[in-house]
Amino acid sequence: MLNQEFMMLHVLFGILGILFAVALFVDVLNANEDNYKRIKKLSVAVTILIVLAFMIGGYWYVVYYGADRDIIKAGQWPWAHNYFMEVKEHLFFALLLLSIYLPIAVHGLMPLDEQKKKNLILGISALIVLLGLFMEGAGGIISKGVTMGLGR
Amino acid sequence: MNNTQTGKYAAGFGISLAVTTLLNAVILVVKELNGSVMGAMKSALGHHWTTHGVLVILVFVVLGFIFSGMKFEDKLDSGKLLRYIVWAVIISVIIIAGFFLPNLKVASAIKY
Repeated sequence: MLNQEFMMLHVLFGILGILFAVALFVDVLNANEDNYKRIKKLSVAVTILIVLAFMIGGYWYVVYYGADRDIIKAGQWPWAHNYFMEVKEHLFFALLLLSIYLPIAVHGLMPLDEQKKKNLILGISALIVLLGLFMEGAGGIISKGVTMGLGR
Repeated sequence: MNNTQTGKYAAGFGISLAVTTLLNAVILVVKELNGSVMGAMKSALGHHWTTHGVLVILVFVVLGFIFSGMKFEDKLDSGKLLRYIVWAVIISVIIIAGFFLPNLKVASAIKY
């Protein structure tokens, strides 16, 4: 049962991290002295959420995933593990590093009074959103791979 | 002094991010192609992925502090830093997604 709860928390924190990165992106587009504080808070929130998603997902992967992997590989969608899980588990490190870097960049570039400074934060946020969406999609395919393996 | 100059840590950790993102992809290829490296990573922390993650995070932090002391903020504006990071991520995605591409059986995907 804990297996499922860990997985749901991993997905939840991942989605929240993506949503906060989108909010940060929009806030940076409209950056001014009134929202600098919120931009800093949002950048820290993205880090916390993605790190939580990483730690919970990592724990689940190491402790519980072995059984699911065997089901997927013996089923009709073996590529759900052989491709999507393999890519996901290694690309997640890039997402994690981008998320840890985000508040460092935001705090180091304040005030965001130059377009190039804003572009750096916008670029990092966009990469977090894109990689995050891939993680969610790949997670869905992996989950379906288990269902296919169980013949449902 | 450049108007779009980056802060000391934003520049140092930005370069570290670009380098470590590429290193992540290189570690993946090396461990997948070399059984002894994979075995060593498994035995180091119990799972190759755990060792991989700890290694990548440690390198990011250590390089971040080293590069922050190298005054990259004087040489690097935000635009150039963004280009380095974006290209590092794109190359890393191509290496990782490309490496496992032979595992993706499109034909069996179409069946369902």
